[in-house]
Amino acid sequence: MLGLSRPPRLGLPNLGLGVGLRAVHFDPILSQRPEVDWFEVISENFMDSQGRPRHVLRQLAERYPLVLHGVSLSIGATDPLNFDYLKKLKTLAGEVGARWVSDHLCWTGVLGRNSHDLLPIPFTEETLRHVVERVRIVQDVLERPLVLENPSSYVTFAHSTMPEEEFVARMAAEADCGLLVDVNNVYVSSFNHDLDPEAFLRALPPERIVQFHLAGHSDYGTHLIDTHDDHVIDPVWKLYQLAHQRTGGASTLLEWDARIPPFPVLHAEVLKAKRYLGETLPEPGPVGRLPAPPPVSHLSAVPHPLHHVLPEVA
Amino acid sequence: MRPGRPSHPPVPPEGPQLDVVQQWFQAVIIHPEGVPGGLGSEEAQRRLPIGPGELATVIAPSRNLTAEERLGIYAHAYYARLLEVLADRFPVLAQALGEEVFAGYAFEYLQRYPSRSYTLDRLGEDFPRFLAETRPDRDAVDLANVADLADPTAETPEAAAWPDFLIDLARLEWAIARVFDGPGAEGQPLLAPEALAALGPERFAAARLPPVPCLRLLAFRYPVNAYYTAVRQAALAGDTAEVPLPDPAPELVALSRTDFVVRRYSLTPTRYALLAAILDGARVEEALAAAAAASDTPDEALAAEVQEAFRFFAAQGFFLGME
Repeated sequence: MLGLSRPPRLGLPNLGLGVGLRAVHFDPILSQRPEVDWFEVISENFMDSQGRPRHVLRQLAERYPLVLHGVSLSIGATDPLNFDYLKKLKTLAGEVGARWVSDHLCWTGVLGRNSHDLLPIPFTEETLRHVVERVRIVQDVLERPLVLENPSSYVTFAHSTMPEEEFVARMAAEADCGLLVDVNNVYVSSFNHDLDPEAFLRALPPERIVQFHLAGHSDYGTHLIDTHDDHVIDPVWKLYQLAHQRTGGASTLLEWDARIPPFPVLHAEVLKAKRYLGETLPEPGPVGRLPAPPPVSHLSAVPHPLHHVLPEVA
Repeated sequence: MRPGRPSHPPVPPEGPQLDVVQQWFQAVIIHPEGVPGGLGSEEAQRRLPIGPGELATVIAPSRNLTAEERLGIYAHAYYARLLEVLADRFPVLAQALGEEVFAGYAFEYLQRYPSRSYTLDRLGEDFPRFLAETRPDRDAVDLANVADLADPTAETPEAAAWPDFLIDLARLEWAIARVFDGPGAEGQPLLAPEALAALGPERFAAARLPPVPCLRLLAFRYPVNAYYTAVRQAALAGDTAEVPLPDPAPELVALSRTDFVVRRYSLTPTRYALLAAILDGARVEEALAAAAAASDTPDEALAAEVQEAFRFFAAQGFFLGME
């Protein structure tokens, strides 16, 4: 019934080291066509676009492998699935030849609202049944496996009956879906919940891990926030190394969404992964310095800031 | 409510159901008074009747943070994220008002018009309407922060109209965003000015000129397009001095898009009337009649103005072709 002898990554390719496409880099990427293995794009920024964002994406699709990464599927919500959204997602995926489609194991709102945040779910049998059923429906509609990411979280529910990693592993097996392991999120959530990030990684089924995410976060002393605004820290690289060893390698992507540096800095950051893959890192080029981080304030932190495209006006 | 009956069902021992948890969680984190206000709100209490000090029965504390502090991260993030998006969507309005005043409007807007879409692109859709509905001059606004705009104590009609500036500027910025990412005519053949010039007068008068789908007309009570240009030029020049806020004066504007970039055109009343008629599907002769009705220009001068206007429109790629 279920794929007990699944090939690694559900049979999906290892695309190498990619970066999240952000609008500030449209022009340098189009004009210089850098040697990037692949790009991940935020699905919602392109699925309705009839202007430049969609035009840029079509051009990039001719040169680079693309993956669609969503933030509004809301797979864990108790509101009905939005089939209009799924239809648009499927159309976009077909149009740009998306290698796969991913989103987050979370909910974003109920009663018709969208918080545009990745909200946490209680890890219970009820939630598991609910999520598994919805993943199956989404996969039927999209006619491709769904790949779900562990979000950073800042609360746990008192009535959860299993650890997150058990929930994720059972969900993947029962719904027959793929996993996007955000290594930074593993680190952030584990810190916030006083848990062991390595135990989390070791509990996941390696053959279902299709992709890794890397990102920077902000340390507030008492807790960490997934701000995507800085370099990847060493402990996260170490976790990545462990994840790599356990899976034999999977597509790896760097996200950077606030204080976004020039493209070469971004690209150089993900290339650091080679150090942890047993490969030689190319000599770093002049990558420039980042501006000083903003003052550390609880109130300045926006978890996983959502990238959106701003108009170009003459 | 019947006496003796508990107003809300208690939380079951195995924990609340998923839908209840989510409705409660949302009510708490989007409450304008933050987590304490959210927890005590009628909506949250209706979902989960948690008394003071009982939050840990639903949200576990961590070693470093209480359950309330942990929820506060989501509550803060909700408004911080969406306020940032709105400020990005209405950058010139945000600059005109200053960060704090703009955030005040945006905060109220998010409560009245919360996002119901999967995309952030629609988050500002109702912002101009919200400003029109609330006409925020009437109450609750610290006029000292927008003192340059109009002296609220001055006995002039303009003083009462200054919210129109905010509304018009919001309409302009929203229209720019829609034109940028809406349908366009890139890659399609357009009507060239030469093709228009080559038409005989009768054929020209009878022609319909289907406009490109990105062409939009806007009529403003304040010259917000000129203000928008001035703010951008000041920013490009690194000029940190504030651009003076304009006095009320009608301004007519067309927006269009070429090569995926939004273009803005300030229009005379004649040009505006012509394009409005063309957008309504009128023939050129009908557009001419509309322009004549809207203009004080003598007929002969108007004919020359119209001819020049159509040449300009075609040169800007306003027409898909000719029917």
